[in-house]
Amino acid sequence: MSVFVEIDHVDRVFALADGGQYVALKNIDLKIQKGEFVSLVGHSGCGKSTLLNILSGLDRPSTGGVILEGREVKGPGPDRMVVFQNYSLLPWLTVRENISLAVDEVLGTTPESERKEIIEQHINMVGLRHAADKLPGQISGGMKQRVAIARALAIRPKLLLLDEPFGALDALTRGGLQEQLMRICEESQVTCVMVTHDVDEALLLSDRVVLLTNGPEAHIGQIVDVPFPRPRHRMEVVNHPNYYGLRGEIVYFLNQQKRAKKRKAEPVVAVARNGLEKVNLDLGFIPLTDCAPMVIAKEKGFFERHGLTDVTLSREPSWKAIAEGVTSKRLDGAVMLAGLPIGLTLGMGNHSPLPMVSSIVLSRNGNAITFSKRLYDEGVRNLADFKGVIARSSDKVPTLGMVHPASMHNLMLRYWLASGDIDPDRDVSLTMIPPAQMVSNLKAGNIDGYCVGEPWNSRAIHEDLGFIMATDLDLWQGHVEKVLGVREDWANQYPQTHLSLIKALLEACEFCDDRRNREEVLEILCRPEYVGSDPIYTRPGLIDPYEFGGGMESKQLLRFNQFYVDHTNCPNRSESLWIMTQLARWGITAFPKNWIEVLERINRLDLYWEATRQLGLPQIEPNRHPFALFDGVTFDPDEPMEYLNSLPIRREVQIQEISLDSLVTA
Amino acid sequence: MTVQATQRSRFNSQGITTYLKTLIPPVVAIAIFLILWQVLTMTTGTLLPSPVRTVQEAGDLIFDPFFDNGGTAKGLFWQVLTSLRRVAIGFTLAAIVGVAVGVLIGTSELMFRALDPIFQVLRTVPPLAWLPLSLAAFQQANPSAIFVIFITAIWPIILNTAEGVRRIPQDYNNVARVLKLSKQKYFFKILFPATVPYIFTGLRIGIGLSWLAIVAAEMLIGGVGIGFFIWDAWNSSRVSDIIVAIVYVGIVGLLLDRLVSYIGSKVVPEEQKVG
Repeated sequence: MSVFVEIDHVDRVFALADGGQYVALKNIDLKIQKGEFVSLVGHSGCGKSTLLNILSGLDRPSTGGVILEGREVKGPGPDRMVVFQNYSLLPWLTVRENISLAVDEVLGTTPESERKEIIEQHINMVGLRHAADKLPGQISGGMKQRVAIARALAIRPKLLLLDEPFGALDALTRGGLQEQLMRICEESQVTCVMVTHDVDEALLLSDRVVLLTNGPEAHIGQIVDVPFPRPRHRMEVVNHPNYYGLRGEIVYFLNQQKRAKKRKAEPVVAVARNGLEKVNLDLGFIPLTDCAPMVIAKEKGFFERHGLTDVTLSREPSWKAIAEGVTSKRLDGAVMLAGLPIGLTLGMGNHSPLPMVSSIVLSRNGNAITFSKRLYDEGVRNLADFKGVIARSSDKVPTLGMVHPASMHNLMLRYWLASGDIDPDRDVSLTMIPPAQMVSNLKAGNIDGYCVGEPWNSRAIHEDLGFIMATDLDLWQGHVEKVLGVREDWANQYPQTHLSLIKALLEACEFCDDRRNREEVLEILCRPEYVGSDPIYTRPGLIDPYEFGGGMESKQLLRFNQFYVDHTNCPNRSESLWIMTQLARWGITAFPKNWIEVLERINRLDLYWEATRQLGLPQIEPNRHPFALFDGVTFDPDEPMEYLNSLPIRREVQIQEISLDSLVTA
Repeated sequence: MTVQATQRSRFNSQGITTYLKTLIPPVVAIAIFLILWQVLTMTTGTLLPSPVRTVQEAGDLIFDPFFDNGGTAKGLFWQVLTSLRRVAIGFTLAAIVGVAVGVLIGTSELMFRALDPIFQVLRTVPPLAWLPLSLAAFQQANPSAIFVIFITAIWPIILNTAEGVRRIPQDYNNVARVLKLSKQKYFFKILFPATVPYIFTGLRIGIGLSWLAIVAAEMLIGGVGIGFFIWDAWNSSRVSDIIVAIVYVGIVGLLLDRLVSYIGSKVVPEEQKVG
């Protein structure tokens, strides 16, 4: 589908009475397809209504513009009809006259009889036949809003703009009208943009929910795709397995914005103490078994021992939230996917490159690929069987879940599929789902399998929803999994703090890997403020033999969660380089022409060695040599391009110079 | 049936109670006022007649307002009617011109800036100050009186209309802008109806001022009219007549005010009443 409405880099600046300026909207860029329903959601005063007014032409952007079907919007017009917040019916005209005022003016060229018919048809459509001759003052708020909607639709606009249409109505009326609006929009295939406060309303009605950050300089913080099939019904939508995930994502965003507002009111000051630049740290983690080092460092006092006396751990709902938190400086650092600092540095997802530093690896291994019971029943036991299933059912493409494009889960799942001659973009559909929601999606049948860390594989096994196709011990034993990621400017600003953080985590990793401590680690992880999972399905792999489901025997995998032994913690630039080749292979980022520079900036080995030296640990650097994954294809870190070009299934690889220094701000 | 009947009777008795509640206090107040008046005029040596003497002396005026003995010797009804005729002409002219000018300066920022200072100065000029000027201009008594009414009533009408136009809710203007309404349709479907409540506020103030001005103007120009009747009565020392005439003037003024606000309440939709 082609772009119908394009909001092109719109800024809106208001002049203030005292001669200053208020930047309400900053760089809003949004493309809307024909027939799409888009909601604008954000806190009060974030400029949602201003943006709607700019779309309608009632307000003009200070820079940028709005293009409707290839033509710039220069003023208001009936092709972009607005349903105003307070109905804006003319109180001296009856319901019918209000509608006919619009119809007669806009469709003046059509014969009168036809116009009359349109008016009557729309009165019927919103069920107001009995009130057609009443004045607006004589009908209820819900009826008034129906008149406003009928008036708007009767003139057949190309774009319908709704400004909190149901905001002033009681819950019962609102529900009825939402369903009515949804039906009308689906029937008339009109493109809609709606401003709302109501998250449930946005999810029910929209194809996409655009979340705006707080003003001043409000911009698009996130766009949430709402994949529910149409026609929709409220109960079906609410019971959709993705509903609460999406709702949680939006509410989380709004809460973050609220917190950001509070934070702005009382800005966080770096508290310098104990010879460190900043001891009050906010560190992010995702509820997974391998967040253990961070949690243990906090709970067992390793942070305190190294002077970090005021560390707050922030449990985040998704890797996206972690990336956002670190980018927006809400978080000082986080337990990250190994690929995340690299992806952020390379400017993944059309963001500008943000130099990151990752100087310690926190865990290796710990993932598995789970397939659904259904695939098991179809006889899938290995990759070749899976390929057979895909070939047999040509009408339905299996969907597999992964947690983030830059995650090892995504990269290894893709590598594994490609090794079996399955194109991960064409033969299957990969979808991004936060780890904690994998099991419910598998249960609901939205996905046929996934690659994720524990305890989310064992939980599916425990609930008998699937079986383990492979653990990463089968694919690449000892691969880098979670790292500590901080912004480069943060690392430069607080070097001693960073060093203490690395030292504390190193000691925590050593603690976690000692099997004598595992019961205690388990107990702490299962607390609700951390992973909050049931020990029954958190034990396999961490303490107990790993369970594979599907009638397979459980096996003790001592290296399943590797936190310390065997040079776990030393960042390995060859592995990072491999990740870069894979990110480029699947078109997630470009491959940096200056990859040596990028690697040295991200994996600051000097910091790691300084930390180990201060802790008195042996300083043995792992050998830098070519390595191979399960399929035996050798990766030579001196020839990444050759390796990349030798891979059979790949997207078009882009090679770019990533200039990092122009971005570094003091 | 019986239930309904008892309910109705209860409603009726309630209706009568509220009716009495609104009626008794003013009746008592008037009675006290009359008694005080009677007592004061009896004890002090004033020229003012007591209420009893007023009724005795001016009985013919009170009980027969319709007599016509030619010249200026006419019943109070005719006197009031003549004054009302002048007010009607002057006030109608003021309403037409006032609304037109009000819309003009309400819609045009330039006109508003240009004319508003002039209006602000002129509206403070007392009505009678215009009389010599209008006599000089018209050379005749009647048109001069009408002009004084006109010039007195026009300012509140202009200023309120302009205010109304400037206060048309942005929502209505947005509707007009989105629908791209023609100028003519905008005027008749949006601007005028939206301004009506303000226009009526202006008209109500205007009619009150007109009635104030006509009495004063007529005292000076002579002829038939309630104003001159009062002046004439003073000259002939008929103080009781003056008192009766004043009561008439008051009642007519009240009726005029109520009439305009009644029309206003019929014309203005419920939702739009100016609070």
